[in-house]
Amino acid sequence: MIATYRTLLVAQFQQASQYRVSMFLYLLFSLIRPIIFLAAWTAVAAARGGSVGGFSAADFAGYYVCMALVLHFTTAWNAYEFEFEVAQGRLSPKLLRPLHPLHYSVVENITWKFFTAFGLVPALAFVAITFQARFETQWWNVALFVPSLLLAAAIRFFLGWIVATAAFWTTRVNAAVTLFDRIMFIFAGQIAPLALMPGILQSIAYVLPFGYIIGVPTDILRGGATLDQALLWMGGQVFWLIVSYAGLQLIWRAGVRQYSAVGA
Amino acid sequence: MSSVIDVRELRKMFHVSEREEGLGATVRALVRRRYRDVPAVAGISFSIEPGEVVGFLGPNGAGKTTTLKALSGLLHPTGGEARVLGFVPWRRENEYLRQMTLLMGNRSQLVWDIPASDSFRVLQEIYKIPEDQYRRALDELVALLDLAPLLHKPVRSLSLGERMKVEFAAGLLHSPKVAFLDEPTIGLDVSMQARIRRFIAEHNRRTGATILLTSHYMADVVALCKRVIVIHHGVLLYDGDLAALASRMAPYKVIGVTLRDGSEADGLAAYGDIQSRDEARVTLHVPRDAAPERAARLVNDLGERLIDISVGDPAIEDVIDRVFTTEATS
Repeated sequence: MIATYRTLLVAQFQQASQYRVSMFLYLLFSLIRPIIFLAAWTAVAAARGGSVGGFSAADFAGYYVCMALVLHFTTAWNAYEFEFEVAQGRLSPKLLRPLHPLHYSVVENITWKFFTAFGLVPALAFVAITFQARFETQWWNVALFVPSLLLAAAIRFFLGWIVATAAFWTTRVNAAVTLFDRIMFIFAGQIAPLALMPGILQSIAYVLPFGYIIGVPTDILRGGATLDQALLWMGGQVFWLIVSYAGLQLIWRAGVRQYSAVGA
Repeated sequence: MSSVIDVRELRKMFHVSEREEGLGATVRALVRRRYRDVPAVAGISFSIEPGEVVGFLGPNGAGKTTTLKALSGLLHPTGGEARVLGFVPWRRENEYLRQMTLLMGNRSQLVWDIPASDSFRVLQEIYKIPEDQYRRALDELVALLDLAPLLHKPVRSLSLGERMKVEFAAGLLHSPKVAFLDEPTIGLDVSMQARIRRFIAEHNRRTGATILLTSHYMADVVALCKRVIVIHHGVLLYDGDLAALASRMAPYKVIGVTLRDGSEADGLAAYGDIQSRDEARVTLHVPRDAAPERAARLVNDLGERLIDISVGDPAIEDVIDRVFTTEATS
Protein backbone atom coordinates (compact mmCIF):
# COMPACT_ATOMS: atom_id res chain seq x y z
CA MET A 1 0.00 0.00 0.00
CA ILE A 2 2.92 2.35 0.69
CA ALA A 3 4.19 1.87 -2.88
CA THR A 4 0.68 2.53 -4.22
CA TYR A 5 0.43 5.73 -2.21
CA ARG A 6 3.86 6.85 -3.37
CA THR A 7 2.86 6.37 -7.03
CA LEU A 8 -0.52 8.06 -6.57
CA LEU A 9 1.15 10.96 -4.76
CA VAL A 10 3.63 11.48 -7.60
CA ALA A 11 0.78 11.54 -10.16
CA GLN A 12 -1.26 13.88 -7.97
CA PHE A 13 1.73 16.20 -7.49
CA GLN A 14 2.15 16.42 -11.24
CA GLN A 15 -1.53 17.20 -11.59
CA ALA A 16 -1.74 19.73 -8.75
CA SER A 17 1.36 21.61 -9.87
CA GLN A 18 -0.55 22.74 -12.96
CA TYR A 19 -3.21 24.59 -10.99
CA ARG A 20 -1.39 27.29 -9.08
CA VAL A 21 -4.22 29.82 -9.24
CA SER A 22 -6.68 27.31 -7.90
CA MET A 23 -4.30 26.54 -5.04
CA PHE A 24 -3.96 30.21 -4.22
CA LEU A 25 -7.77 30.49 -4.03
CA TYR A 26 -7.93 27.49 -1.70
CA LEU A 27 -5.37 29.22 0.45
CA LEU A 28 -7.52 32.35 0.63
CA PHE A 29 -10.50 30.17 1.51
CA SER A 30 -8.61 28.76 4.50
CA LEU A 31 -7.70 32.24 5.68
CA ILE A 32 -10.70 34.45 5.08
CA ARG A 33 -13.19 33.05 7.57
CA PRO A 34 -10.88 32.90 10.59
CA ILE A 35 -9.60 36.42 9.88
CA ILE A 36 -13.13 37.85 9.66
CA PHE A 37 -14.05 36.30 13.01
CA LEU A 38 -10.74 37.35 14.51
CA ALA A 39 -11.39 40.96 13.46
CA ALA A 40 -14.94 40.82 14.87
CA TRP A 41 -13.90 39.36 18.24
CA THR A 42 -11.01 41.81 18.52
CA ALA A 43 -13.50 44.64 18.13
CA VAL A 44 -15.88 43.08 20.69
CA ALA A 45 -13.04 42.58 23.18
CA ALA A 46 -11.97 46.20 22.76
CA ALA A 47 -15.55 47.41 23.31
CA ARG A 48 -15.86 45.26 26.47
CA GLY A 49 -12.77 46.78 28.05
CA GLY A 50 -10.19 44.36 26.68
CA SER A 51 -11.60 40.85 27.09
CA VAL A 52 -14.63 38.60 26.54
CA GLY A 53 -15.11 35.60 28.83
CA GLY A 54 -11.43 35.61 29.72
CA PHE A 55 -10.31 35.92 26.08
CA SER A 56 -8.23 39.02 25.35
CA ALA A 57 -7.73 40.28 21.80
CA ALA A 58 -4.32 38.53 21.82
CA ASP A 59 -6.00 35.26 22.94
CA PHE A 60 -8.50 35.53 20.11
CA ALA A 61 -5.66 36.12 17.68
CA GLY A 62 -3.85 33.02 19.01
CA TYR A 63 -7.06 31.01 18.78
CA TYR A 64 -7.94 32.01 15.23
CA VAL A 65 -4.39 31.64 13.90
CA CYS A 66 -4.32 28.09 15.29
CA MET A 67 -7.85 27.52 14.01
CA ALA A 68 -6.95 28.61 10.48
CA LEU A 69 -4.14 26.07 10.52
CA VAL A 70 -6.46 23.32 11.81
CA LEU A 71 -9.21 24.29 9.37
CA HIS A 72 -6.76 24.06 6.52
CA PHE A 73 -5.42 20.64 7.44
CA THR A 74 -8.78 19.11 8.27
CA THR A 75 -10.83 20.37 5.35
CA ALA A 76 -12.33 17.76 3.02
CA TRP A 77 -14.10 18.61 -0.20
CA ASN A 78 -14.58 15.08 -1.49
CA ALA A 79 -18.36 15.14 -0.98
CA TYR A 80 -18.75 17.86 -3.62
CA GLU A 81 -16.68 15.87 -6.08
CA PHE A 82 -18.38 12.61 -5.28
CA GLU A 83 -21.73 13.86 -6.55
CA PHE A 84 -20.08 14.86 -9.80
CA GLU A 85 -18.32 11.52 -10.08
CA VAL A 86 -21.53 9.56 -9.52
CA ALA A 87 -23.61 11.71 -11.89
CA GLN A 88 -20.99 11.68 -14.65
CA GLY A 89 -20.24 7.98 -14.29
CA ARG A 90 -16.65 8.68 -13.33
CA LEU A 91 -16.96 6.61 -10.21
CA SER A 92 -17.53 3.42 -12.19
CA PRO A 93 -13.98 2.94 -13.50
CA LYS A 94 -12.67 3.59 -10.01
CA LEU A 95 -15.01 1.03 -8.48
CA LEU A 96 -13.71 -1.58 -10.90
CA ARG A 97 -10.07 -1.20 -9.94
CA PRO A 98 -8.52 -3.23 -7.15
CA LEU A 99 -8.18 -0.14 -4.94
CA HIS A 100 -10.96 1.46 -2.89
CA PRO A 101 -12.00 4.84 -4.39
CA LEU A 102 -11.42 6.46 -1.01
CA HIS A 103 -7.65 6.22 -1.47
CA TYR A 104 -7.67 8.57 -4.47
CA SER A 105 -9.37 11.20 -2.32
CA VAL A 106 -6.91 10.71 0.52
CA VAL A 107 -4.01 11.29 -1.86
CA GLU A 108 -5.65 14.31 -3.46
CA ASN A 109 -6.40 15.71 -0.04
CA ILE A 110 -2.82 15.27 1.19
CA THR A 111 -1.35 16.78 -1.97
CA TRP A 112 -3.43 19.95 -1.97
CA LYS A 113 -2.87 20.54 1.71
CA PHE A 114 0.85 20.03 1.29
CA PHE A 115 1.13 22.50 -1.58
CA THR A 116 -1.05 25.18 -0.05
CA ALA A 117 0.65 24.89 3.36
CA PHE A 118 3.72 26.61 1.87
CA GLY A 119 1.69 29.77 1.43
CA LEU A 120 -0.45 29.36 4.53
CA VAL A 121 2.24 29.16 7.19
CA PRO A 122 3.93 32.50 6.35
CA ALA A 123 0.51 34.14 5.93
CA LEU A 124 -0.54 32.96 9.39
CA ALA A 125 2.78 34.11 10.88
CA PHE A 126 2.04 37.54 9.44
CA VAL A 127 -1.47 37.55 10.96
CA ALA A 128 -0.08 36.39 14.32
CA ILE A 129 2.44 39.23 14.41
CA THR A 130 -0.04 41.86 13.18
CA PHE A 131 -2.67 40.94 15.79
CA GLN A 132 -0.05 40.29 18.49
CA ALA A 133 -1.34 36.79 19.03
CA ARG A 134 -0.67 35.09 22.34
CA PHE A 135 0.04 31.36 22.55
CA GLU A 136 0.49 29.39 25.75
CA THR A 137 1.88 26.42 23.91
CA GLN A 138 4.17 24.04 25.79
CA TRP A 139 6.14 21.08 24.44
CA TRP A 140 3.34 18.61 25.21
CA ASN A 141 0.88 20.77 23.31
CA VAL A 142 2.87 20.32 20.13
CA ALA A 143 3.39 16.60 20.84
CA LEU A 144 -0.37 16.06 21.27
CA PHE A 145 -1.35 18.46 18.51
CA VAL A 146 0.07 16.31 15.72
CA PRO A 147 -1.94 13.14 16.52
CA SER A 148 -4.95 15.26 17.43
CA LEU A 149 -4.79 17.00 14.03
CA LEU A 150 -4.48 13.66 12.23
CA LEU A 151 -7.46 12.26 14.15
CA ALA A 152 -9.45 15.40 13.34
CA ALA A 153 -8.61 15.21 9.63
CA ALA A 154 -9.56 11.53 9.53
CA ILE A 155 -12.92 12.14 11.29
CA ARG A 156 -13.72 15.03 8.95
CA PHE A 157 -12.74 12.92 5.96
CA PHE A 158 -14.88 9.92 6.96
CA LEU A 159 -17.87 12.12 7.83
CA GLY A 160 -17.50 13.87 4.47
CA TRP A 161 -17.59 10.50 2.75
CA ILE A 162 -20.65 9.42 4.73
CA VAL A 163 -22.52 12.52 3.54
CA ALA A 164 -21.18 12.04 0.02
CA THR A 165 -22.35 8.44 -0.06
CA ALA A 166 -25.92 9.72 -0.01
CA ALA A 167 -25.28 10.30 -3.73
CA PHE A 168 -25.71 6.55 -4.23
CA TRP A 169 -29.37 7.05 -3.39
CA THR A 170 -30.14 10.56 -4.50
CA THR A 171 -27.39 11.34 -7.07
CA ARG A 172 -27.54 14.96 -5.87
CA VAL A 173 -25.94 15.63 -2.50
CA ASN A 174 -24.95 19.27 -2.59
CA ALA A 175 -27.85 20.31 -0.37
CA ALA A 176 -26.92 17.70 2.23
CA VAL A 177 -23.27 18.68 2.04
CA THR A 178 -24.07 22.36 2.47
CA LEU A 179 -26.28 21.59 5.47
CA PHE A 180 -23.48 19.50 6.97
CA ASP A 181 -21.01 22.35 6.45
CA ARG A 182 -23.34 24.87 8.11
CA ILE A 183 -23.93 22.67 11.16
CA MET A 184 -20.22 22.11 11.38
CA PHE A 185 -19.65 25.85 11.10
CA ILE A 186 -21.83 26.48 14.13
CA PHE A 187 -20.67 23.64 16.38
CA ALA A 188 -17.00 23.24 15.45
CA GLY A 189 -15.73 26.37 17.20
CA GLN A 190 -15.45 28.60 14.16
CA ILE A 191 -17.90 31.34 15.13
CA ALA A 192 -16.52 31.42 18.66
CA PRO A 193 -14.17 29.27 20.74
CA LEU A 194 -16.15 26.37 22.26
CA ALA A 195 -15.41 27.74 25.75
CA LEU A 196 -17.33 30.93 24.90
CA MET A 197 -20.43 29.23 23.55
CA PRO A 198 -23.60 29.66 25.64
CA GLY A 199 -24.27 26.72 28.04
CA ILE A 200 -26.62 24.50 26.07
CA LEU A 201 -24.85 25.05 22.75
CA GLN A 202 -21.53 24.20 24.38
CA SER A 203 -22.96 20.96 25.75
CA ILE A 204 -24.30 20.05 22.32
CA ALA A 205 -20.96 20.94 20.74
CA TYR A 206 -19.10 18.52 22.99
CA VAL A 207 -21.50 15.72 22.13
CA LEU A 208 -21.38 16.24 18.35
CA PRO A 209 -18.25 15.34 16.38
CA PHE A 210 -17.60 18.80 14.94
CA GLY A 211 -15.81 20.32 17.92
CA TYR A 212 -13.41 17.40 17.87
CA ILE A 213 -12.48 18.32 14.31
CA ILE A 214 -11.73 22.05 14.77
CA GLY A 215 -12.07 23.32 18.33
CA VAL A 216 -10.17 20.54 20.08
CA PRO A 217 -6.94 20.53 18.04
CA THR A 218 -7.04 24.34 18.00
CA ASP A 219 -7.19 24.57 21.80
CA ILE A 220 -4.55 21.87 22.18
CA LEU A 221 -2.15 23.76 19.91
CA ARG A 222 -2.62 27.22 21.43
CA GLY A 223 -2.33 25.88 24.97
CA GLY A 224 -5.96 26.48 25.84
CA ALA A 225 -6.43 23.25 27.79
CA THR A 226 -4.85 21.33 30.66
CA LEU A 227 -3.09 18.05 29.86
CA ASP A 228 -5.94 16.03 31.40
CA GLN A 229 -8.51 17.98 29.41
CA ALA A 230 -6.53 17.50 26.21
CA LEU A 231 -6.25 13.75 26.74
CA LEU A 232 -9.97 13.50 27.47
CA TRP A 233 -10.76 15.39 24.26
CA MET A 234 -8.47 13.11 22.30
CA GLY A 235 -10.37 10.16 23.77
CA GLY A 236 -13.46 11.80 22.24
CA GLN A 237 -11.63 12.06 18.93
CA VAL A 238 -10.77 8.36 19.00
CA PHE A 239 -14.43 7.59 19.75
CA TRP A 240 -15.61 9.66 16.78
CA LEU A 241 -12.95 8.17 14.54
CA ILE A 242 -14.22 4.68 15.30
CA VAL A 243 -17.87 5.71 14.90
CA SER A 244 -17.29 7.56 11.62
CA TYR A 245 -15.14 4.78 10.17
CA ALA A 246 -17.64 2.07 11.11
CA GLY A 247 -20.50 4.24 9.86
CA LEU A 248 -18.77 4.74 6.54
CA GLN A 249 -18.16 1.00 6.16
CA LEU A 250 -21.85 0.26 6.72
CA ILE A 251 -23.25 3.01 4.54
CA TRP A 252 -20.72 2.36 1.76
CA ARG A 253 -21.67 -1.31 1.58
CA ALA A 254 -25.34 -0.45 1.41
CA GLY A 255 -24.64 2.34 -1.10
CA VAL A 256 -22.74 0.29 -3.66
CA ARG A 257 -25.57 -2.23 -3.66
CA GLN A 258 -27.84 0.65 -4.50
CA TYR A 259 -25.51 2.16 -7.09
CA SER A 260 -27.11 2.21 -10.50
CA ALA A 261 -24.02 3.38 -12.39
CA VAL A 262 -25.97 6.13 -14.13
CA GLY A 263 -24.25 7.90 -16.96
CA ALA A 264 -21.67 5.15 -17.17
CA MET B 1 -17.58 -25.49 -14.48
CA SER B 2 -15.10 -24.76 -17.28
CA SER B 3 -16.91 -21.71 -18.67
CA VAL B 4 -15.24 -18.38 -18.11
CA ILE B 5 -18.61 -16.63 -17.86
CA ASP B 6 -21.60 -18.45 -16.53
CA VAL B 7 -24.91 -16.62 -16.13
CA ARG B 8 -28.08 -18.17 -14.73
CA GLU B 9 -31.44 -16.39 -14.72
CA LEU B 10 -29.83 -12.99 -14.20
CA ARG B 11 -32.36 -10.29 -13.37
CA LYS B 12 -32.07 -6.57 -12.70
CA MET B 13 -35.00 -4.39 -11.81
CA PHE B 14 -34.67 -0.61 -11.67
CA HIS B 15 -36.91 1.37 -9.34
CA VAL B 16 -37.60 4.57 -11.29
CA SER B 17 -39.78 7.56 -10.53
CA GLU B 18 -42.10 8.77 -13.25
CA ARG B 19 -44.57 11.56 -13.80
CA GLU B 20 -46.75 13.12 -16.46
CA GLU B 21 -45.47 16.14 -18.34
CA GLY B 22 -46.37 19.70 -17.37
CA LEU B 23 -46.16 22.02 -14.40
CA GLY B 24 -49.08 20.51 -12.46
CA ALA B 25 -47.58 17.06 -12.60
CA THR B 26 -44.22 18.48 -11.53
CA VAL B 27 -45.78 20.08 -8.44
CA ARG B 28 -47.71 16.90 -7.59
CA ALA B 29 -44.52 14.87 -7.96
CA LEU B 30 -42.87 17.08 -5.34
CA VAL B 31 -45.38 15.89 -2.78
CA ARG B 32 -46.14 12.42 -3.95
CA ARG B 33 -43.82 10.54 -6.19
CA ARG B 34 -44.88 7.59 -8.29
CA TYR B 35 -42.44 4.77 -8.78
CA ARG B 36 -42.39 1.97 -11.23
CA ASP B 37 -40.24 -1.14 -11.35
CA VAL B 38 -38.62 -1.47 -14.74
CA PRO B 39 -37.08 -4.83 -15.58
CA ALA B 40 -33.83 -4.07 -17.41
CA VAL B 41 -32.75 -7.69 -17.47
CA ALA B 42 -35.53 -10.23 -17.05
CA GLY B 43 -33.83 -13.58 -16.44
CA ILE B 44 -31.14 -14.38 -18.98
CA SER B 45 -28.82 -17.39 -18.99
CA PHE B 46 -25.75 -18.13 -21.07
CA SER B 47 -22.20 -19.29 -20.72
CA ILE B 48 -19.05 -18.32 -22.56
CA GLU B 49 -15.96 -20.47 -22.99
CA PRO B 50 -12.34 -19.35 -22.70
CA GLY B 51 -11.08 -17.31 -25.66
CA GLU B 52 -14.48 -16.71 -27.25
CA VAL B 53 -15.39 -13.32 -28.72
CA VAL B 54 -19.14 -12.95 -28.35
CA GLY B 55 -21.29 -10.14 -29.69
CA PHE B 56 -24.05 -8.99 -27.39
CA LEU B 57 -26.78 -7.45 -29.52
CA GLY B 58 -30.01 -5.64 -28.86
CA PRO B 59 -31.67 -2.28 -29.47
CA ASN B 60 -31.27 0.64 -27.07
CA GLY B 61 -32.63 -0.26 -23.66
CA ALA B 62 -32.50 -4.01 -24.31
CA GLY B 63 -30.42 -4.61 -21.17
CA LYS B 64 -27.01 -5.11 -22.77
CA THR B 65 -25.12 -2.53 -20.77
CA THR B 66 -26.93 -3.48 -17.57
CA THR B 67 -25.78 -7.07 -18.08
CA LEU B 68 -22.21 -5.98 -18.73
CA LYS B 69 -22.28 -3.80 -15.62
CA ALA B 70 -23.54 -6.69 -13.53
CA LEU B 71 -20.94 -9.07 -14.94
CA SER B 72 -18.12 -6.62 -14.36
CA GLY B 73 -19.30 -6.05 -10.79
CA LEU B 74 -20.66 -2.51 -10.97
CA LEU B 75 -24.27 -3.49 -10.39
CA HIS B 76 -25.88 -5.83 -7.89
CA PRO B 77 -28.53 -7.82 -9.73
CA THR B 78 -32.03 -8.24 -8.36
CA GLY B 79 -31.91 -11.99 -8.85
CA GLY B 80 -30.12 -14.87 -10.51
CA GLU B 81 -26.51 -15.91 -10.41
CA ALA B 82 -23.35 -15.21 -12.31
CA ARG B 83 -19.78 -16.41 -12.09
CA VAL B 84 -16.95 -14.88 -14.05
CA LEU B 85 -13.61 -16.68 -13.75
CA GLY B 86 -15.22 -18.46 -10.81
CA PHE B 87 -15.93 -15.17 -8.94
CA VAL B 88 -19.25 -13.60 -8.08
CA PRO B 89 -18.61 -10.30 -9.89
CA TRP B 90 -20.53 -7.90 -7.65
CA ARG B 91 -18.47 -8.91 -4.64
CA ARG B 92 -15.70 -7.06 -6.45
CA GLU B 93 -12.88 -9.05 -4.89
CA ASN B 94 -9.51 -7.58 -5.83
CA GLU B 95 -8.41 -10.93 -7.23
CA TYR B 96 -11.32 -10.73 -9.70
CA LEU B 97 -10.85 -7.05 -10.57
CA ARG B 98 -7.20 -7.71 -11.47
CA GLN B 99 -8.29 -10.20 -14.11
CA MET B 100 -11.06 -8.37 -15.92
CA THR B 101 -11.78 -5.05 -17.57
CA LEU B 102 -14.88 -3.10 -18.55
CA LEU B 103 -14.31 -0.60 -21.33
CA MET B 104 -17.19 1.75 -21.88
CA GLY B 105 -17.12 4.00 -24.92
CA ASN B 106 -15.40 7.23 -24.03
CA ARG B 107 -15.46 6.92 -20.24
CA SER B 108 -12.25 8.09 -18.70
CA GLN B 109 -9.88 5.68 -16.97
CA LEU B 110 -7.09 8.21 -17.21
CA VAL B 111 -6.09 11.30 -15.30
CA TRP B 112 -6.79 14.25 -17.58
CA ASP B 113 -4.02 16.55 -16.56
CA ILE B 114 -1.04 14.27 -16.87
CA PRO B 115 0.38 12.31 -19.80
CA ALA B 116 -0.97 8.83 -20.42
CA SER B 117 2.42 7.30 -19.68
CA ASP B 118 2.15 8.59 -16.09
CA SER B 119 -1.42 7.31 -15.77
CA PHE B 120 -0.18 3.92 -16.99
CA ARG B 121 2.41 3.85 -14.21
CA VAL B 122 -0.36 4.51 -11.68
CA LEU B 123 -2.38 1.63 -13.13
CA GLN B 124 0.69 -0.61 -13.04
CA GLU B 125 0.94 0.04 -9.32
CA ILE B 126 -2.79 -0.35 -8.64
CA TYR B 127 -2.95 -3.64 -10.52
CA LYS B 128 0.45 -4.75 -9.17
CA ILE B 129 1.74 -5.58 -12.65
CA PRO B 130 5.34 -6.85 -12.50
CA GLU B 131 7.75 -4.62 -14.44
CA ASP B 132 8.61 -7.15 -17.18
CA GLN B 133 4.94 -7.99 -17.78
CA TYR B 134 4.10 -4.29 -17.81
CA ARG B 135 6.78 -3.53 -20.41
CA ARG B 136 5.65 -6.42 -22.56
CA ALA B 137 1.98 -5.41 -22.43
CA LEU B 138 2.79 -1.74 -23.02
CA ASP B 139 5.09 -2.47 -25.99
CA GLU B 140 2.41 -4.64 -27.54
CA LEU B 141 -0.31 -2.05 -27.03
CA VAL B 142 1.89 0.76 -28.32
CA ALA B 143 2.66 -1.23 -31.45
CA LEU B 144 -0.90 -2.42 -32.11
CA LEU B 145 -2.54 0.93 -31.48
CA ASP B 146 0.29 3.17 -32.70
CA LEU B 147 0.43 4.98 -29.38
CA ALA B 148 4.03 6.17 -29.37
CA PRO B 149 3.26 9.79 -30.37
CA LEU B 150 0.45 10.05 -27.79
CA LEU B 151 2.02 8.72 -24.62
CA HIS B 152 3.69 11.88 -23.43
CA LYS B 153 0.95 14.43 -24.12
CA PRO B 154 -1.52 15.36 -21.37
CA VAL B 155 -4.65 13.29 -21.93
CA ARG B 156 -6.86 16.39 -22.10
CA SER B 157 -5.02 17.56 -25.23
CA LEU B 158 -5.74 14.37 -27.20
CA SER B 159 -8.50 14.12 -29.81
CA LEU B 160 -11.46 11.81 -29.16
CA GLY B 161 -10.05 9.04 -31.33
CA GLU B 162 -6.60 9.35 -29.79
CA ARG B 163 -8.06 9.29 -26.31
CA MET B 164 -10.10 6.20 -27.10
CA LYS B 165 -6.97 4.39 -28.19
CA VAL B 166 -5.16 5.39 -25.02
CA GLU B 167 -8.20 4.39 -22.94
CA PHE B 168 -8.14 1.01 -24.60
CA ALA B 169 -4.52 0.56 -23.69
CA ALA B 170 -5.23 1.67 -20.11
CA GLY B 171 -8.01 -0.89 -19.80
CA LEU B 172 -5.87 -3.72 -21.13
CA LEU B 173 -2.49 -2.99 -19.53
CA HIS B 174 -3.09 -5.59 -16.85
CA SER B 175 -3.74 -8.25 -19.53
CA PRO B 176 -7.23 -9.13 -18.32
CA LYS B 177 -8.50 -12.64 -18.95
CA VAL B 178 -12.01 -11.27 -19.51
CA ALA B 179 -12.86 -8.04 -21.29
CA PHE B 180 -16.32 -6.47 -21.43
CA LEU B 181 -16.42 -3.93 -24.23
CA ASP B 182 -19.42 -1.64 -24.37
CA GLU B 183 -19.65 0.14 -27.72
CA PRO B 184 -15.89 0.14 -28.24
CA THR B 185 -16.02 2.06 -31.53
CA ILE B 186 -18.75 4.57 -30.75
CA GLY B 187 -18.09 8.07 -32.08
CA LEU B 188 -15.02 7.07 -34.08
CA ASP B 189 -14.44 7.63 -37.78
CA VAL B 190 -14.53 4.67 -40.14
CA SER B 191 -10.77 4.09 -40.32
CA MET B 192 -10.39 4.31 -36.53
CA GLN B 193 -13.27 1.87 -36.12
CA ALA B 194 -11.50 -0.56 -38.42
CA ARG B 195 -8.28 -0.11 -36.50
CA ILE B 196 -9.91 -0.79 -33.13
CA ARG B 197 -11.59 -3.86 -34.63
CA ARG B 198 -8.31 -5.22 -35.91
CA PHE B 199 -6.78 -4.49 -32.56
CA ILE B 200 -9.47 -6.40 -30.63
CA ALA B 201 -9.14 -9.40 -32.95
CA GLU B 202 -5.35 -9.36 -32.67
CA HIS B 203 -5.44 -8.94 -28.90
CA ASN B 204 -7.81 -11.88 -28.58
CA ARG B 205 -5.57 -14.01 -30.80
CA ARG B 206 -2.42 -13.11 -28.88
CA THR B 207 -3.67 -13.28 -25.32
CA GLY B 208 -6.59 -15.69 -25.56
CA ALA B 209 -8.73 -13.23 -23.59
CA THR B 210 -12.46 -13.88 -23.50
CA ILE B 211 -14.38 -10.94 -24.90
CA LEU B 212 -18.04 -9.98 -24.64
CA LEU B 213 -18.83 -6.88 -26.65
CA THR B 214 -21.84 -4.76 -27.48
CA SER B 215 -22.00 -2.58 -30.53
CA HIS B 216 -24.54 -0.84 -32.67
CA TYR B 217 -22.17 -1.16 -35.60
CA MET B 218 -22.85 -4.51 -37.21
CA ALA B 219 -19.47 -4.25 -38.92
CA ASP B 220 -17.87 -4.66 -35.47
CA VAL B 221 -19.88 -7.78 -34.81
CA VAL B 222 -19.37 -9.31 -38.24
CA ALA B 223 -15.63 -8.69 -38.09
CA LEU B 224 -15.10 -10.01 -34.57
CA CYS B 225 -17.78 -12.41 -33.42
CA LYS B 226 -18.56 -15.94 -34.54
CA ARG B 227 -21.18 -16.13 -31.87
CA VAL B 228 -23.85 -13.62 -30.92
CA ILE B 229 -26.30 -13.32 -28.09
CA VAL B 230 -29.38 -11.27 -28.92
CA ILE B 231 -31.50 -9.75 -26.16
CA HIS B 232 -34.55 -7.56 -26.26
CA HIS B 233 -36.58 -6.16 -23.34
CA GLY B 234 -34.18 -7.98 -21.05
CA VAL B 235 -35.02 -11.40 -22.52
CA LEU B 236 -32.66 -13.62 -24.48
CA LEU B 237 -33.89 -14.13 -28.05
CA TYR B 238 -31.00 -15.91 -29.67
CA ASP B 239 -27.68 -17.43 -28.66
CA GLY B 240 -25.61 -19.08 -31.37
CA ASP B 241 -23.57 -18.69 -34.54
CA LEU B 242 -23.77 -15.35 -36.24
CA ALA B 243 -23.93 -17.22 -39.54
CA ALA B 244 -27.00 -19.15 -38.40
CA LEU B 245 -28.74 -16.05 -37.05
CA ALA B 246 -30.19 -15.19 -40.45
CA SER B 247 -31.61 -18.65 -41.08
CA ARG B 248 -33.07 -18.82 -37.58
CA MET B 249 -34.45 -15.32 -37.29
CA ALA B 250 -35.28 -14.44 -40.90
CA PRO B 251 -37.26 -17.17 -42.68
CA TYR B 252 -36.54 -15.69 -46.11
CA LYS B 253 -33.76 -15.24 -48.63
CA VAL B 254 -33.11 -12.27 -50.82
CA ILE B 255 -33.13 -12.65 -54.59
CA GLY B 256 -31.77 -9.72 -56.59
CA VAL B 257 -32.75 -9.54 -60.27
CA THR B 258 -31.37 -7.11 -62.85
CA LEU B 259 -33.52 -6.74 -65.96
CA ARG B 260 -32.70 -5.49 -69.42
CA ASP B 261 -33.76 -1.84 -70.01
CA GLY B 262 -37.46 -1.38 -70.63
CA SER B 263 -38.43 -4.81 -69.31
CA GLU B 264 -41.65 -5.00 -67.34
CA ALA B 265 -41.17 -6.06 -63.67
CA ASP B 266 -44.81 -6.37 -62.67
CA GLY B 267 -44.94 -10.10 -63.23
CA LEU B 268 -42.16 -10.65 -60.67
CA ALA B 269 -44.61 -10.41 -57.76
CA ALA B 270 -45.57 -13.99 -58.55
CA TYR B 271 -42.10 -15.17 -57.49
CA GLY B 272 -41.86 -13.39 -54.12
CA ASP B 273 -42.46 -10.17 -52.19
CA ILE B 274 -41.02 -7.23 -54.07
CA GLN B 275 -39.06 -5.22 -51.50
CA SER B 276 -37.57 -2.56 -53.74
CA ARG B 277 -37.21 -1.51 -57.33
CA ASP B 278 -34.36 0.68 -58.41
CA GLU B 279 -34.44 1.22 -62.17
CA ALA B 280 -33.72 -2.22 -63.61
CA ARG B 281 -32.77 -3.83 -60.25
CA VAL B 282 -35.53 -5.61 -58.32
CA THR B 283 -35.15 -7.15 -54.85
CA LEU B 284 -37.44 -9.98 -53.77
CA HIS B 285 -37.94 -11.80 -50.47
CA VAL B 286 -38.75 -15.47 -50.95
CA PRO B 287 -39.33 -18.25 -48.39
CA ARG B 288 -35.96 -19.79 -47.47
CA ASP B 289 -36.87 -23.33 -48.57
CA ALA B 290 -38.29 -22.18 -51.87
CA ALA B 291 -35.33 -19.97 -52.84
CA PRO B 292 -33.48 -22.39 -55.20
CA GLU B 293 -36.65 -23.35 -57.05
CA ARG B 294 -37.81 -19.69 -57.42
CA ALA B 295 -34.37 -18.62 -58.64
CA ALA B 296 -34.34 -21.41 -61.23
CA ARG B 297 -37.82 -20.46 -62.39
CA LEU B 298 -36.82 -16.81 -62.67
CA VAL B 299 -33.83 -17.69 -64.86
CA ASN B 300 -36.01 -19.93 -66.97
CA ASP B 301 -39.02 -17.62 -67.28
CA LEU B 302 -37.17 -14.32 -67.78
CA GLY B 303 -34.83 -15.76 -70.40
CA GLU B 304 -33.26 -13.00 -72.51
CA ARG B 305 -34.72 -10.23 -70.31
CA LEU B 306 -32.43 -11.23 -67.36
CA ILE B 307 -28.98 -9.65 -67.06
CA ASP B 308 -28.02 -10.76 -63.56
CA ILE B 309 -29.44 -12.71 -60.61
CA SER B 310 -28.16 -13.19 -57.02
CA VAL B 311 -29.42 -15.27 -54.09
CA GLY B 312 -28.32 -14.57 -50.54
CA ASP B 313 -29.10 -14.08 -46.87
CA PRO B 314 -30.53 -10.77 -45.81
CA ALA B 315 -28.02 -8.24 -44.43
CA ILE B 316 -27.41 -8.85 -40.74
CA GLU B 317 -28.75 -5.38 -39.90
CA ASP B 318 -32.02 -6.29 -41.58
CA VAL B 319 -32.24 -9.56 -39.67
CA ILE B 320 -31.67 -7.82 -36.36
CA ASP B 321 -34.10 -5.06 -37.27
CA ARG B 322 -36.69 -7.66 -38.19
CA VAL B 323 -36.20 -9.50 -34.90
CA PHE B 324 -36.65 -6.34 -32.89
CA THR B 325 -39.59 -4.93 -34.79
CA THR B 326 -41.38 -8.29 -34.75
CA GLU B 327 -40.82 -8.56 -31.02
CA ALA B 328 -41.95 -5.00 -30.47
CA THR B 329 -45.24 -5.52 -32.25
CA SER B 330 -45.97 -9.03 -30.92
